[in-house]
Amino acid sequence: MSYRVGRVKGVYAHTSLLKSLTIELEDDLNIIPGQFLMVWLPGYEEIPLSPSYADQNIVRLTVKGVGETTKRLISLDTGDRIYVRGPYGRGFDLDKPGKYLLAGGGYGAAPIIYSAYKLSKLGNQAVYVEGAKSIKEQLFIDEARKLGLEAILVTEDGSSGIKGLITDYIKQIIGEFDILLGCGPEPMLIKLLNMCIESGVDCQLSFERVVKCGIGICGSCVLGDRGLLVCYDGPVFNKERLMDLSFKEVV
Amino acid sequence: MVDLRVELAGIKLSNPTVLASGILGDNAALLRRAAKTGFGAVTTKSFTIEPREGYATPIIAEVKAGLLNAVGLANPGYKEIKDILPKARVNGVPIIVSLAGSKIDEFVEMAIYAEDWGADIVELNLSCPHVSMMGMDIGHDPAFVANLVGELTGVIETPVFIKIGLTDNYMEVVSRALDKGAAGITAINTVKAMAINIYAKTPVLSHRYGGLSGPAIHPIATRVIYDIYREFKPPIIGIGGVEAWEDAVEFLLAGATAIGIGTAVSKHGLTISKVVSDGIRTYLEREGFESVRDIIGYVHRK
Repeated sequence: MSYRVGRVKGVYAHTSLLKSLTIELEDDLNIIPGQFLMVWLPGYEEIPLSPSYADQNIVRLTVKGVGETTKRLISLDTGDRIYVRGPYGRGFDLDKPGKYLLAGGGYGAAPIIYSAYKLSKLGNQAVYVEGAKSIKEQLFIDEARKLGLEAILVTEDGSSGIKGLITDYIKQIIGEFDILLGCGPEPMLIKLLNMCIESGVDCQLSFERVVKCGIGICGSCVLGDRGLLVCYDGPVFNKERLMDLSFKEVV
Repeated sequence: MVDLRVELAGIKLSNPTVLASGILGDNAALLRRAAKTGFGAVTTKSFTIEPREGYATPIIAEVKAGLLNAVGLANPGYKEIKDILPKARVNGVPIIVSLAGSKIDEFVEMAIYAEDWGADIVELNLSCPHVSMMGMDIGHDPAFVANLVGELTGVIETPVFIKIGLTDNYMEVVSRALDKGAAGITAINTVKAMAINIYAKTPVLSHRYGGLSGPAIHPIATRVIYDIYREFKPPIIGIGGVEAWEDAVEFLLAGATAIGIGTAVSKHGLTISKVVSDGIRTYLEREGFESVRDIIGYVHRK
């Protein structure tokens, strides 16, 4: 698959470093929530990004400017070109019946809010929980509410919503749900996995690794001692797959 | 029941499929997974003396008839062989250790180490087309290759294969290497190539040049395997665009003993080895052969 050329249609700044770019492509890439695109800016690196929204030929990428490439990405303006290939990997399975608990930590909330869009379209019941350091870094709470979902913000500094860690909050409510979808920092995912194992709740979790080729050949994104590839077997793994790895190996 | 077993310089493979070097193999878990999935042997990524980060992304470019890569020989350095090999070994599947270097001393040091940690075959990467002073840069020189192979076969007992690429003089390189005791030939590596994005107006790969693999190079590889077998009949691991059992059978008929699979892993997953070996089995049954060994180099008999 070679690159599709997109144009930036709009930029929304959540903070000065955290922005959402709306990209217009020539065609519909049929991206499943949790799948990712390899995004390239000529002269910079190519990086994997899992969209925070996609509909027909519109894709939204939520990016935190931390490295050279991501800093360049968040400085793009309307009309600028952006190159993508994909989608790649395995996304969330949203067809399972039941009550969904959606858990997004930091910019890991991106594929989670996109899942929320799809779930509300499918008419599935879902509650959206987002963990952020502070209110300033909150991303998609308003969007989730507009979708008609119950949306709960958990901030580490207590500047808004519930004070604490997202995992502590989820521990209190997880029993009310059938399935949990999670994306965020790895310690959060490990805690969520253990909670799901203890409570018998099903889960699908999206893991992050250094993805270089995106197509399952370079091996840079290996996860665990069974040789799972984040770009090919994941990034979303179901509970059975993850239980197969021991806690330590996943860390 | 037809027999799919082959031997590469005395190393027994349960079937002719081999995970090609550069694909997934600098991690024990991945090599192990490949071996479990059905490959007859697995090849590590090329190890170098020092660890290498590899190039910045983009490291691959998907093109019409294949794939371009410039991974840049990313690997954790040859000392990791000690940790990787024992963990990677499963079900007795042979492990081919690929080595890349600039100087003979480097190869000697790494080859001894690989032998000590259980390499079944040492494969010399004399053909990577995208790293300077390694691979193709040294592998096109028949005198250097002869010296290198001569030194190595003097110090290790493990069979030494040389992996060649597409050069004008590959027959001379092969001839000199076999004279000095190379146990076999791996052919071919990717072919130096480039992809330019017409809107970005720049080469896609960060390294600009890369190696072309996939269906585009399959007929080229068939020719190289045919030439080498006709002249020297060494054990050959044939590599280049094998995506289906038919491609593998073509290599076998041309003279390959084993079939390397690389790029197709991305399209079909590691289970490609099973699909290819099952296909070879069915072909042999239908064509009335008892063993895969009966068709190696078959075209040369007519």
